Amino acid sequence: MSAPILSLSGVTKSYPRGGMLGSVFGARAPVLALDDVSLDVMAGDVVGIVGESGSGKSTLAQLAVGLTRPTAGTIRLGGEDLGLLMRDHAGPWRRRIQMAFQDSSSALNPRKSIGRCLEETLVLAGVDKAARPAEAAALLGRVGLGAEMLPRLPHELSGGQRQRVGLARALAMKPDVLIADEPVSALDVSLQAQVINLLGRLTGELGLTLLFISHDLALVRALCRRVIVMRKGRIVEEGPCLQVLESPRDDYTRLLLSAVPKGIEGRRRPPARTSNPEFPRP
Amino acid sequence: MTAPLIDIQDLRVGFRAGGRRMVEAVRGISLAVRPGEAVGIVGESGSGKSLGMLAVMRLLAGGARITGGRILFDGEDLAAAPERRMAALRGRDIAMVFQDPQSSLNPALSIGRQIVDVVVAHQAVSRGRAAEIAVDALERVGIRDASARLGAYPHEFSGGMRQRVLIAMAIACRPRLLIADEPTTALDVTVQAQIVDLIAELRRDLGLAVLFISHNLQLVAEIVDRVVVLYGGKLVEDADVFAIEDSPRHPYTRLLKACVPSLTAPPGPLFAIDGAPPRLGAMPPGCPFAPRCPRALPRCAAEMPPLTVEDGRRLACWNPQ
Repeated sequence: MSAPILSLSGVTKSYPRGGMLGSVFGARAPVLALDDVSLDVMAGDVVGIVGESGSGKSTLAQLAVGLTRPTAGTIRLGGEDLGLLMRDHAGPWRRRIQMAFQDSSSALNPRKSIGRCLEETLVLAGVDKAARPAEAAALLGRVGLGAEMLPRLPHELSGGQRQRVGLARALAMKPDVLIADEPVSALDVSLQAQVINLLGRLTGELGLTLLFISHDLALVRALCRRVIVMRKGRIVEEGPCLQVLESPRDDYTRLLLSAVPKGIEGRRRPPARTSNPEFPRP
Repeated sequence: MTAPLIDIQDLRVGFRAGGRRMVEAVRGISLAVRPGEAVGIVGESGSGKSLGMLAVMRLLAGGARITGGRILFDGEDLAAAPERRMAALRGRDIAMVFQDPQSSLNPALSIGRQIVDVVVAHQAVSRGRAAEIAVDALERVGIRDASARLGAYPHEFSGGMRQRVLIAMAIACRPRLLIADEPTTALDVTVQAQIVDLIAELRRDLGLAVLFISHNLQLVAEIVDRVVVLYGGKLVEDADVFAIEDSPRHPYTRLLKACVPSLTAPPGPLFAIDGAPPRLGAMPPGCPFAPRCPRALPRCAAEMPPLTVEDGRRLACWNPQ
């Protein structure tokens, strides 16, 4: 078996409770955002990470991409320690892992055209100046947008189009691993499906490894081969996507599944749903 | 048949977009809700669903205003009512719950104070009696030990609990109509399910009429009697929820249903509707869905189909399924 492309081993991330005051009166225990998580992701894997607010799924993404450093444990990217890679080889690090964010309007500079935004990323990718405009157009094509978007500003695009631009920018670095943090949760249903299908196609075409972070189990089921269920900073269940979603072993996974809207079918056959209003806050 | 509680007739909402040009976002929507009825309003961003309901509450901001039509509530036209009258109705007879429970509560006041303020604004009761009403409302929405939590501030509650507080505030004066605008969109899935169940329960227990706005047909179908589908500021289909689910006739309704991901569909690519909703101010002359519609005829792009009524279903389509 080949080595994992992304590997977390005993990773813990804690934040001081209550921000500044918490660190001044540091008597209280820190908040454990991620609690001793170990995880191997193989090249070409499409992994869904599900959980609710506070489950640690976004912290995991930020750690993996290097936006924040772990309190304890090691993260290896392509077999190399992430901290050392970032310090000594920023270029290769950026080419190995990229991220697309949930809120496409705040992830793009509102005063820069789409073309300029992509070309700036292409500078980091080491693309020659002369080749950049054509490459930017090609990136847009890859995410299903036309070159007529290049001179436009972010606010002139729809939410779905902006989300595609965010993906195009992440792809500009030709990363091995792409982390998409709730990329469709701000989109309307009809546009969600377009972006999910695009992600599915990109993983196939580019052999991209994808970590798809979502609270929507139905979307994860449509896109991912493997799923990781997180709660309170820990992995509570993981395995092949269909197996976990069809025969979950953990109570929390079952709770998440029971909460997916069943629509009219739920009224024809009333679901067994937990309605405890004070289910512990994660 | 009972008289409608609210009867929206040919409602139009527009706003100025640069200079004197008026852009219409709600383009003639008619919709009636009977006492105790729950109606889902489904559509995407720009369909006019939120703007239309804000118009009903007369809470339009940002230069938007009602440009036509009537909003009959119990026979009284809210579109023409003076602001003082609206202030009396709002929160007492018609209440609204919004998407973001965080920004709907005042962070500097305890939740008890905020609910009591609403109650004394509408009812001739002492603050002491109003506090009892607040406790009762909080308990009804599933907040345990409510009297001890009156003094708590919004930040002490999770997002789901804050939405419960807002619902308690909305029902404290026993309104007859509750408008819920994407009340669960900002919440975690498990909490979302609880809030949907809560709204269904309140409707049953209090005999509330409910207008539930969402972009998620699957969610709406869990609790409403009837679904109204909006697209591009127009009503395209309106039918009993089972009819919408079993035999949607407008191609948009059908496609909207198909692209909701499910836990039972075979894995693989999701069904998607190509293209994007029309932009405000750039509405096609005909059916707004025509540019994305697989069943569009030449006529669809040129001429808006009239709203027809058949077997209790309203439909605006030249080539229905």
